[in-house]
Amino acid sequence: MGIELHRAATDGWVETPDGRIHYIFGFTDVTGVPEKNLAGYRGKAELMAPPLVLQVGEEYFVTLTSIGTPTRPDLDDPHTIHYHGFPNQIALYDGVPEASVAVPVGRSFVYYYKPLDPGTYMYHCHHEPVEHIQMGMVGPLVVRPADYNPAHPDYKTAYGHGTGTEYDREYYMFLNELDCVIHHQVETVQEPDWTEYRPTYWLINGRSYPDTVAIDTGGRLRLQPWPALIRANAGEKVLLRFVNLGFEQHALMLLGAAFRVIGIDGMRPLGLNGEDLSFYKNIIFIAPGQSYDAVFTAPQARPGESYPLTLPLYNRNLTKNTTGGTEPGGMITEVQVFAPGGLPPQAEPNQP
Amino acid sequence: MPDVHLWATDGYISTPDGKSIYIWGFTDQEGGSARLPGPLIIIKQNAPPRKTTVNVSLTNNLDVPVSLLFPGQEEVRVHGRRVQPQYENGALVSLANFARPGETITYTFTAAGPGTFLYESGTNPHQQVPMGLYGSIIVRPWDYEPDSGEFQTAYGAGTGTEFQREYLLVLSELDPGLHQALETGGNYDIRGFKPRYWTINGRCANDTMLPDHAAHLPNQPHGSMVMMEPGERVLLRYACAGSANHPLHPHGNHTRLVGLDGRLLQNRIGPTIHDLSYKRFTVLVGAGQTYDQIYTWTGLGFDPVSRPIPTTLPNIRNVVIGHTGMTFWNGSPYLGEKRELPPDVVSFNEKGEYHFMLHSHAEPEITNWGAFPGGLMTMIAVYPEGTLDEHHGRLPVEST
Repeated sequence: MGIELHRAATDGWVETPDGRIHYIFGFTDVTGVPEKNLAGYRGKAELMAPPLVLQVGEEYFVTLTSIGTPTRPDLDDPHTIHYHGFPNQIALYDGVPEASVAVPVGRSFVYYYKPLDPGTYMYHCHHEPVEHIQMGMVGPLVVRPADYNPAHPDYKTAYGHGTGTEYDREYYMFLNELDCVIHHQVETVQEPDWTEYRPTYWLINGRSYPDTVAIDTGGRLRLQPWPALIRANAGEKVLLRFVNLGFEQHALMLLGAAFRVIGIDGMRPLGLNGEDLSFYKNIIFIAPGQSYDAVFTAPQARPGESYPLTLPLYNRNLTKNTTGGTEPGGMITEVQVFAPGGLPPQAEPNQP
Repeated sequence: MPDVHLWATDGYISTPDGKSIYIWGFTDQEGGSARLPGPLIIIKQNAPPRKTTVNVSLTNNLDVPVSLLFPGQEEVRVHGRRVQPQYENGALVSLANFARPGETITYTFTAAGPGTFLYESGTNPHQQVPMGLYGSIIVRPWDYEPDSGEFQTAYGAGTGTEFQREYLLVLSELDPGLHQALETGGNYDIRGFKPRYWTINGRCANDTMLPDHAAHLPNQPHGSMVMMEPGERVLLRYACAGSANHPLHPHGNHTRLVGLDGRLLQNRIGPTIHDLSYKRFTVLVGAGQTYDQIYTWTGLGFDPVSRPIPTTLPNIRNVVIGHTGMTFWNGSPYLGEKRELPPDVVSFNEKGEYHFMLHSHAEPEITNWGAFPGGLMTMIAVYPEGTLDEHHGRLPVEST
């Protein structure tokens, strides 16, 4: 009964376009992997963590196995999964070590979720959260409505049929920052002073521009397998699922199309009596621990313009459009708009 | 007409890592030590059409001028005249009339609307407010009545703001360098302002979870543990006295924001009322701003007999419990049940309650000078039905 998913907690390395590599902790998807093969995933943590995509009404049994950190064999930190934003959770499945249990190296624990509310959420490890979140144990969590049906345009929605949240394509816009000094300190068994947190890398889906617009998922980006390139046909509705699991506020601006905000923190903007309070924005201003669902319509080419159109999407906190001090970099990506019918329908989220 | 007397003075606070930090602050006891935050002022409005006029006298026992601002209040006056920014030789020295060292000044204002507000110094505020010269004001609607159901509200009967318990969380950040400079007469360059501590009601975690009036924290008398029972409507009043923004995330549920800056989230257009309240799982608590929210937790119906959890709880030797030597966990999946915990772990669980963390998601802020746990963190404790004393989450109707 129910759907079984499996995540392993381990460490790994990510690369930024300046050629530097950074030590991370993180999760990897080991759903269906036999227990005897789990050790083969040690050191293969991914940034961002593999998304958890759930659906209202289904039952999920998410096993977390802690398989150790080969670069830090001395480290015996346990890990957890905190499903951030799950209403009415019980302490046992909430993943807070001070208020329930954590998973030591070599052990597993099963979290149970039966989501009742669609929307965009996030998950992360809550053991020493300042360290484990910054080190990369962070990912998006999407709950689809009970009536979700990608084959039918009226039922391919963020919040359910009749909620005005239909879309043609969807992309994660998962935001966080990276302080390479702290990552190096953790790699070399030093204690960081978190009040000295000073990131110099800003990431979308675990990548810094121009890796954000690279569509390859292997090679040097094999542990950062999520492009942030957005592609759509003119006239299509594109759902961007913004999640911020950094420690800073971010202001993501799209040039050439307006966002309609249809969800904040996994809730449609609705008044107490059901009033529709959705609204338009050019910039999604998002704090740590928040999520925004924003839909824009890919614009048509004007006379004299030719497809594909390119719409920049970048951080209006302009200093964050850098990679280790050089620009352009950081939280920049782009929307490429093709002629109507130019792209086949999107099969998976984030598939450009 | 409520009369409040505050003294601006100095004192010390404690942090959980063993530091003693010099502060400036307010007290309502003549000759008392500064408290962090300043004394809570609670005002119940008069029934309309009577205005609610409040007098606040400030005696300044510091050796610098101090003033009081009442953001969001109306008709703020001194000696019958509107408060004004103060200039000396053409230079701004205070955002409001001030009391020189040794002087007393009396402010009068009209509490025109219910809600949560701040009061704070308007003189050298970049220095005096982070030093601790701030406090908060709760204005209750004129029809407020505790234990009355529809009349125990934040904004008045019929506004959808009924609650059973209420908690006030006043946030700030603290740079010990500033405090040390003002204690020792050293220099402080504001360009170097760098918080190392973050406080809720003047305390850093884990002191935030200690009871009110803990004996060893005489100048930080208020805890911020949110204690409730399932299904209760809990009014959370956030007030940010700091200069930075803090994204507060409660585990366990969203909050419904019903008031911002002491203003009900409602529009009236003609006879029609438009509800503008909204739900969030993270609220960015902005500098100087207040957020009134309703939080509830009902659980998912798990029960050891009628609806057991669908997973097997591992043997406690195969999980980590209390890695810092203590735990809030009840040892059981079920509310109200206590089970075996490892023998070397101190339990802070009282009656089988659940604990849900409430914390800043700008996670460096949940440290004390960089060491987790600390800072802007507390717990929401959900007690089994019928087990939580009534005095928890009970603030007076009015200050006396």
